[in-house]
Amino acid sequence: MQLSDISYGLPGREQMKRYRIWDSYFTPSHGHPGKDGVSALLADMDRAKRSALDLGQFEKCCFFPHVGIGTTSDSGLERLLREKPELVLKPFDHWPGRMLGMIQLNANDKTASLEALNRWLRDGPMQGVYFPGGGPGALCCTHRNFLPLVERVVELGGVIMQHTWFVTGGKPKPGMSTPSELVELAQKFPDYPFVCAHAGGEWERGIRAVADHPNIFIETSGFDATAGFIEMAVRELGAARIIFGSHLPSRSLGTELSKVTAADITEEEKFEILGANFRKLLGEIEE
Amino acid sequence: MKRRQLLHTATAGSAAMFLPAVIAKAGEGFEGILDSNVSLFRWPFRRLPLDETSLLVEKLRSLHVTTAWAGSFECCFHRDLGEANARLHRECDTYPELIPVGTVDPSRRGWERDFDACVSGLQMPGLRLFPNLHQYSLDHPAVKRLFLRAAESGTFLQVVVTLEDSRTQPEQIAAPDADLRKLPDLMRAVPDVRIQLLNLRPGVSQLAALKDLPGLFFDTARADSVDGVASLLAGTSPERVVYGSHSPFLIPEAALIRVHESNLGFDTLRSVLRENSERMNP
Repeated sequence: MQLSDISYGLPGREQMKRYRIWDSYFTPSHGHPGKDGVSALLADMDRAKRSALDLGQFEKCCFFPHVGIGTTSDSGLERLLREKPELVLKPFDHWPGRMLGMIQLNANDKTASLEALNRWLRDGPMQGVYFPGGGPGALCCTHRNFLPLVERVVELGGVIMQHTWFVTGGKPKPGMSTPSELVELAQKFPDYPFVCAHAGGEWERGIRAVADHPNIFIETSGFDATAGFIEMAVRELGAARIIFGSHLPSRSLGTELSKVTAADITEEEKFEILGANFRKLLGEIEE
Repeated sequence: MKRRQLLHTATAGSAAMFLPAVIAKAGEGFEGILDSNVSLFRWPFRRLPLDETSLLVEKLRSLHVTTAWAGSFECCFHRDLGEANARLHRECDTYPELIPVGTVDPSRRGWERDFDACVSGLQMPGLRLFPNLHQYSLDHPAVKRLFLRAAESGTFLQVVVTLEDSRTQPEQIAAPDADLRKLPDLMRAVPDVRIQLLNLRPGVSQLAALKDLPGLFFDTARADSVDGVASLLAGTSPERVVYGSHSPFLIPEAALIRVHESNLGFDTLRSVLRENSERMNP
């Protein structure tokens, strides 16, 4: 054997292209884009380039920009992003034709969040919202503040991504949400889709919590590549309710992609999970 | 997308992703990958897709793993370690790839007998320790005696930092990661001992405290992020990072793709995938 004979358990380049991967959870510099509003974010995109673009052949990557409504604790950054909103758009220029965006909302500040929805979702180019589980924008999704925000997102037709975790021993921070709490919110909008980010982390509980609620999808990233996850999710929810996320670059392609590509499911199901389902949520029409 | 086309070509497409040009010069013989971190038998809290040894070995072969150091979930959860170690040895005897790595629990009376049974009796090259799940700390007096015994007999020790992310552990076995703060002093007191940490999710400050211990090796199972393996190499030593997947609890492909993803040079890749393990277990 020679070292060049070694395969790495990664599907071949052409197969990766055929999967048409649309990454719903791309997290370059997720917590803070840099003091100048963008440089750390762009550097982290470059850090992820080999995994996302060269090996993963990702068609699209969806990130979650801060837009100056208090989702970081850096008041200077928040002011800068309000004064120079063009900074928020820099990642689209950095990887032309490849980026999608869903703004981070701050449910603790309804007024600013509603204004941001008009500015970024109604007027574009963002395609949805992300409710964080940490930082000053985090609030448990059963809080009453969520209702007017979700109502507005529904009017505008945006994707709703809610960070969720079931942490062994209980919530480490009160602003976090669990899949069960997302169920409470999603039941108020039974005809509208919600994405349960990270499938709750502890996915056996997460999958069971949302299983009876067909308007809740799960997203696949953010926890170790524990074997059996996708098999259980397909069995309990069906492949149509599962959306791939990479969590690059703080997680690896190995951890996140192998959950799907190495799972004991059909190629058709892999195709749905890796991109087709997210495209449907975004209202894209499949060829 | 033409789904019929996708399905038609999937088998051929998934066959292999060959290495990029950086290792195209790899012309000399390679014995195959050594996976330093696999476990046999059942995980008590769910069936794992590859928890039948035959299926696990079939998967390892498909990934060009020709040697695997195999521990046992039974050795973590069973009280009769003698029988669990013997069963592990019998199972490995069926598959030429599998090298058994038994377990001792130095906090339990009679651990020396388990040590001798594994090392002298069953000829195991190494032993695995589970400080967090067996509930002892590294400053337990028997741990130093165990380190001395291992050093004298040329036996490597694998310290399992955790079997699962503490955030997702079943409540029945919830335990924080093994506390490694005493490890540097312990290793300095027993300079010939060779230790490998399994399933460490390495943090910068933790690596700073551990990087200068020449007998300490690391595995790749939870060195996550796109440059996780490269960072681990940079933060420790190119000679002390050893490929380990934590299969079948984690998906076997995960660590392997991650090594590939780290875009290592040819020599480093060879070292991580095989040669460093041979340094640890000469």
